[in-house]
Amino acid sequence: MLLGNIAVGLQIGMTVVLLNKSHWVRTLGLPSLFLVPVLAGVIASYVWRTLKPSVTDTLVSSLWTTLMALGIATVVFHEGFICLLILSPIYFVAVLAGALVGRVLFKVDRSRLHLCLIPALAVVTLVEPMTRKDQLNVITDEIVIHAPPAKVWPLVTAFPQIPATPGFWLFRLGLPYPKSTTTTGPFVDADRRCIFSGNAVFKERVVEFVPSEKLTFDILESPPDPELVGHLTPHRGQFVLRGNSDGSTTLSGSTWYTLHVRPAWYFDLWTQHIFRAVHLRVMEDIRRRAELPDRP
Amino acid sequence: MIFNLVVSHFRWLARIPGMPHFFDALLTAGTWAFYPQRLSAMEKLEREALSLPGVLLSIHRFGGIEFLNENGRELGHLHGHGLLDVLVGREKAETLIASGRVRRHHVLPHSGWVSFQIESAADVSFALELLMARRKTAEYSVTWIHS
Repeated sequence: MLLGNIAVGLQIGMTVVLLNKSHWVRTLGLPSLFLVPVLAGVIASYVWRTLKPSVTDTLVSSLWTTLMALGIATVVFHEGFICLLILSPIYFVAVLAGALVGRVLFKVDRSRLHLCLIPALAVVTLVEPMTRKDQLNVITDEIVIHAPPAKVWPLVTAFPQIPATPGFWLFRLGLPYPKSTTTTGPFVDADRRCIFSGNAVFKERVVEFVPSEKLTFDILESPPDPELVGHLTPHRGQFVLRGNSDGSTTLSGSTWYTLHVRPAWYFDLWTQHIFRAVHLRVMEDIRRRAELPDRP
Repeated sequence: MIFNLVVSHFRWLARIPGMPHFFDALLTAGTWAFYPQRLSAMEKLEREALSLPGVLLSIHRFGGIEFLNENGRELGHLHGHGLLDVLVGREKAETLIASGRVRRHHVLPHSGWVSFQIESAADVSFALELLMARRKTAEYSVTWIHS
């Protein structure tokens, strides 16, 4: 079984390498999150077929194979650990689905089974790229600050080091988190630098500057972080301040982004979860400083 | 619970190629993680059913494994969370449901199909009885068609 696992791990590694090298295959959408692991599972069960594995054997081997494939992705392609962590549950279930189907498929030799599986995989292969369309998404978060907009505004344009240790679990695991922001001045076209942990810097330019109301900036350059490269492009950020009748301010923070990984519904859930944590870390710090009593 | 929710509200997902098998793999992984005794009983059922002459294994179109007789007719199918669905005929289905040992089929409640939830190795003999009951019916109908 171990030998089979190693063989399958190497096969998956080689498949991923070949898929990344072949432009036409990539265009077809073959290296999708769904197809590669399902096919890997089917191939795996072909390798394991002589061992006549039980369902439990298949489950254990699929888990082992998944870990091995993700290890290869980390070492060979320098994929980010957090991305792989997010990917792992769906990848494991896809490998398992392929392996469980293959377990039955290669247990018996009946052409009917081969005929029903091949069109299904062919349909998925052809339909999947058709559904690929990069879409601009936006996520907005709001908090209420017990201070007037005039007091909140200077804290929005730029802010020093955020002293709070990150509470969000993915930040603790190593995902870069916002630490401070610098700006060249309070005007349109000013350069901004949003500095994340690990010296990851987002280079930004102010495109809208309405004091005490709105700050919009385009994200010109993202850091070459393995968690971001090829997966996500952040385009724009915005802070909007709204004065409330009780003297407080509603601060909303938005980020516009495009996701390049599929299935979008799955990764978008994680992206929104992560952006929410980024927004709230910054906005909570703005609130903390804005609500400090004025010094005489 | 997840199975019933998906079957009652998201049945259209079964039309997407591969989706039922993906969902069944999810159920199997859940059974492995939370109900190992049930998974072991499912494996026992598969082993014992396959040791019977003429019984074959196939992939069920809605996920899980399917038991077939030598003529390729379905005897029943087993989902990843241990639910065995068997076509026993309307009359027998009503008798079995009244006895409380099985429940109505999750998609076709008023049909000859019944569902039996496997929990432990103790349930395997009854599950085999159900499959064999279906086997006799299937053989009878093949003979009847041929005659």
